[in-house]
Amino acid sequence: MSIDITLTVNGVSHPLAVDPHASLLHTVRDQVGLTGSKEGCDDSECGACMMLIDGRPVNACSYLAVQADGAEVTTVEGLADGNDLTPLQRAFLEKGGVQCGFCTPGMLISATALLRDHPRPTEDQIRIALSGNLCRCTGYDGIVAAVAAAAEQG
Amino acid sequence: MSTYVEARDVAAAVAAMADGARPVAGGTDLVVGARHGKAPLPESIVGIHRIPGLDGISVADGVVRIGALTSHAAILSSPELASATAGLLDASAIVGSHATRANGTLGGNVMNASPAMDTGAPLLCHDASVVLTGPGGTRRVGLAELWTGPGKTSASPDELMEAVELPLPPEGAGSAYVRLQYRRQMEIAVVGAAAYVEVSDGAVSAARVAITALTPVICRVPGSEEALVGRRLGSNDSVSGENPAVWTQTTEIGDAIHAAGQAAAAAATPISDVRASAGYRTAMAAVVTRRAVTAALTRATGGSVTVPASDWSER
Amino acid sequence: MTVTEERPTAEQQGTFIRPDGKEKVTGLGRYTADVNLTGQAHAAFRFADHPHARITRIDTSAARAIPGVYAVVTHEDVPENLYGGMVQDRLLFAKDTVRWEGDVVAGVAARTQAIAREAAAAIVVEYDVLPALPDFVANAQPGAPLVHPEWTAYDADDDLSREGNVVGHSTILKGDVDAAMETADVVVTSRFVADASQGAPIEPRAILAQWTGDRVTVWTSTQVPFAARDGVAHTLGIPQSHVRVIVPLLGGGFGSKCDFHFEAHVAALAEAAGRPVKLVFSRREEFLAPDHRREGMVLEFETGATKDGHLVARRATLHLDKGAYTGEGGFFAQMAAMHACGPYELDNVAVRAMLTYSTNQPSSSIRAPTAPQTCWALEQHMDQVAAAVGLDPVELRRRTLIRQGSHGPTGQVFDEIGMLDTLEAAVEMIGYGQELPDDEAIGVACGWWPSMASPSGAYVKLNGDGTGTIVTGAQECGTGAVMALPILAAEQLGMRPDDFSILYQDTDAGPWDMGASGSQTTFNNGRAVVAAAQEVRAQLLQMAAEKLEIDPADLELVDGTVRAVGAPSTSVTIAELAGTGTPLLGKGSGDLPENPPTDIPSACVGRLGLDSFLAPQLITHAARVKVDRETGVVRVLAFAAAHDSGVIVNKIGADGQVYGGVMMGIGQALSEATYFDEEGRQRNPGLLDYKLQTASDGPRIDVRWIEVDTPNAGPKGSKGVGEPPSVPTSGAVGNAIAQVVGRHVTQLPMTAERVWTTIQDVQEEAK
Repeated sequence: MSIDITLTVNGVSHPLAVDPHASLLHTVRDQVGLTGSKEGCDDSECGACMMLIDGRPVNACSYLAVQADGAEVTTVEGLADGNDLTPLQRAFLEKGGVQCGFCTPGMLISATALLRDHPRPTEDQIRIALSGNLCRCTGYDGIVAAVAAAAEQG
Repeated sequence: MSTYVEARDVAAAVAAMADGARPVAGGTDLVVGARHGKAPLPESIVGIHRIPGLDGISVADGVVRIGALTSHAAILSSPELASATAGLLDASAIVGSHATRANGTLGGNVMNASPAMDTGAPLLCHDASVVLTGPGGTRRVGLAELWTGPGKTSASPDELMEAVELPLPPEGAGSAYVRLQYRRQMEIAVVGAAAYVEVSDGAVSAARVAITALTPVICRVPGSEEALVGRRLGSNDSVSGENPAVWTQTTEIGDAIHAAGQAAAAAATPISDVRASAGYRTAMAAVVTRRAVTAALTRATGGSVTVPASDWSER
Repeated sequence: MTVTEERPTAEQQGTFIRPDGKEKVTGLGRYTADVNLTGQAHAAFRFADHPHARITRIDTSAARAIPGVYAVVTHEDVPENLYGGMVQDRLLFAKDTVRWEGDVVAGVAARTQAIAREAAAAIVVEYDVLPALPDFVANAQPGAPLVHPEWTAYDADDDLSREGNVVGHSTILKGDVDAAMETADVVVTSRFVADASQGAPIEPRAILAQWTGDRVTVWTSTQVPFAARDGVAHTLGIPQSHVRVIVPLLGGGFGSKCDFHFEAHVAALAEAAGRPVKLVFSRREEFLAPDHRREGMVLEFETGATKDGHLVARRATLHLDKGAYTGEGGFFAQMAAMHACGPYELDNVAVRAMLTYSTNQPSSSIRAPTAPQTCWALEQHMDQVAAAVGLDPVELRRRTLIRQGSHGPTGQVFDEIGMLDTLEAAVEMIGYGQELPDDEAIGVACGWWPSMASPSGAYVKLNGDGTGTIVTGAQECGTGAVMALPILAAEQLGMRPDDFSILYQDTDAGPWDMGASGSQTTFNNGRAVVAAAQEVRAQLLQMAAEKLEIDPADLELVDGTVRAVGAPSTSVTIAELAGTGTPLLGKGSGDLPENPPTDIPSACVGRLGLDSFLAPQLITHAARVKVDRETGVVRVLAFAAAHDSGVIVNKIGADGQVYGGVMMGIGQALSEATYFDEEGRQRNPGLLDYKLQTASDGPRIDVRWIEVDTPNAGPKGSKGVGEPPSVPTSGAVGNAIAQVVGRHVTQLPMTAERVWTTIQDVQEEAK
């Protein structure tokens, strides 16, 4: 049975029919067509799929799309203002926070949520907040530096 | 054919559950469990995540009430709970990642009845009960009666948990939860323990200790509690409690803390698996119990133990 | 020699950021799993149901009958072409025998992934179950049951041995070890066991194949596009010209995406289904199915030393688990033998290494294959030697590490190298010798890794507006090649790095390159890009000389112009020259540096070219750790990494390799292992129980480069960078743990339980 829902992704409403078991991640990737959010594990261990739902960070691989009916969903594609990168995105590039880039969408979402709740995080707060986002390339060093730099810029 | 409805009030949720639907809120246990292959997603699901009034924290008439939909993040930012149930904050602070904590609810955690759930042991030590509402009305069930086995509860399938309630602890009470953690985050409890103590006139007047992931259901350890009750803290190591090492020495309370740990190890019936051997788990049962009791006593006597106590007590 | 240590700012780098950076931070870049084609089907595999069994029957009829199934493919549907990088010991789809739990028996293409998985499960496969052979040490004994009974008939590299299950048997024999041991003041023996571990890239692999006539295009998450192309052509029996491999953005590899993997399976499914077919692995499959993981090892060392800190002799016996198939990993015994010697002066050596088949998951290249485990064992052994002779561990290394003019274990004579400088730098950075609480300590470890010379090619062309495009065969997997290659081209042409676009990876477009493996991209493809840019440079100078009527020798390329030396106003812009329509196109490969000579018979260490280390990358790591004595939990509090990788071409990229490599090394030191059950099945194929380090586990990592302008090396005197950062990491952590605990933990990873058990042993014995 498909359920009719309205998924608002990055400010655009999408009327969709989804299977009750469909994950938010698969729905956004396959039906909305935004593939920035990645599937790295499918069980909330890696964080590559992270999105914001009404501002909360969510592992979209483990969240049912039907539950996001009517909610505001933000993916990595919704962070930049048109062609203008956010200070966080720029800092990721300048501080070596991006290598292969596969964890980057989830990292950016995770860090965005952190900076909204804690505009001036300590290094330990940054590291704790990003612990649900596994990165194999950077050793987290450049990423932590980027989040700190973005916080500096406010 | 799978189905889904979203309930807008408790009655609608209960009606759907009576028709066989399983409730889902944050999805961090149910959906993740399905992804792990633990159990497939239920065919019929009722979304309860937007039922008004099921979240929130209140303190009234000596009762702390935490709504079922209260997220771990909300627990962590509650000043009331920070002073009353610090042990619960210790647990919520180390559940999954910050995304898990933003979505995972206390209700889901408790009703999932995992022997490894982090919030279980501190709630049990706080003498918590759950408020269950079904077609026949509302009842309160203590956690020890609620959890009947791994993943099993005494709630009937059409009873929705509305809230956790626990008595507001008196002055001089403290609680803590400590888990063995290979990594600081993103762990599932391999061994954990919680303690709740009341200290009056320089002695332990009440103590409750519970262990996590060491028995088929999270349970109290009477032997640990008996070891503590009535024991004096001594003059030098009393209220400041800044240096918990004081209590591991051959003081009366240090001896009691050690005995509490031994009793927890004796009560444990752990398994051996890829995460740890049974022997190591048993030995760690004593360690985390000692640390939980130490942290609870420190808090009870006005000392500072940062949340999560697991990080604080690493040494 | 210069030493740099500060993190470069964006300003120091100019505004040059990763050319692939913007698409990565906006989520608009496409990885293979993000690419979809109209009408595509989804693939699923049926894997072996037993780690070791003879197949007696395969019946696909029930699977084919499921609605939505387009094709089922088994060994009957593809040529019986054995394949494998160094031993051709494998078929795409198992025919008679399955040899590990990840052997592919059949593949399905269906309308949805769910249907494909259902159909794969519906295939009936019957077996005669054979005893599993997971014990690689036992398998190396004469007379052991064979994993490949028929393997002397396989095609294989002639330089490999074939003795029972032993794929590679390598020895280093130098001097007279028996006599030298007699002269030692102390003889120290140690035994270590290293568990297997994984590359574990965050991107699970994905492959999409589409046929157009007789040609197939394969989009795939590979580190080695040309190996993938060649593998498809070989196994399906078609010309290489009929296979085009395209790599969209690649989400990490760490070696696990080296070698030819599943591209031909998917191509065969797409041909049978008559439509594009896409395979995306689950995380569980990403653990179970690749024939790539870091090999388990058993290592025994015996070292004789004198009281004044001279190593007089070394014996070592190493067993390596090859798993079921050889793949590209046939050289591992040689590599491990070199690492059993390490970067030390040794006159008398008897090392023996055996790489042995088992019915476990195949091992193959994972970031510096064999080195982290061997170095972990050797460096802990070295600390034991230091204790036995009564010397500080750093002091023992000061007296024994190779330096300019040293003769290595195989008689290689070293040119100017920064080995000792890395030691002194790391010791200084970590604050060696400082007062620490009694549950903290500092450990130091040294290691090495060769730069790998390989042919490689690139084109550089200029566009009409004076910008450039690099077309390369090199592969980028996060390592930073997309930064280094434009930097090198820009330097040759007086342009800016961000003037260049870069086209990779399309095997129809770029010249051959061995791929993102062996720390080789900047080392080899950088040389190719420089050579290609130099051709364009010559063309520009010639055109400008004619236009300005000045001898080319008196011209220089600066800031996008060609101008007269000493008279900068006499100039012409590159855009003007490129805009004339005359093709400005260079191609290059450059001259391959030669491996340094050795002075022991080449048959000793083997003939695969690893008996000497070209442009050796030299490393010292130092870790400050805190050990929770009650639980055995170890936290790394501070980490210093000092590297001689020659001249650094792209510092932000090189730093990133060290940060990531060290963190991977800390994971391998403390938490990462693949545990097998008694039959060789993985017990923890998921990220909950295969524990990568998280952001909150890791320390800040201090990096310092010892920049030695290295002859006979890569562009600008550079060496490789990517693999060494994981080499001595676990050794440094292990030595620090041992300082606190009073004994070395002899099993890798040094999990909390293993550390705790070691503490219990020490306490028991003290009683």
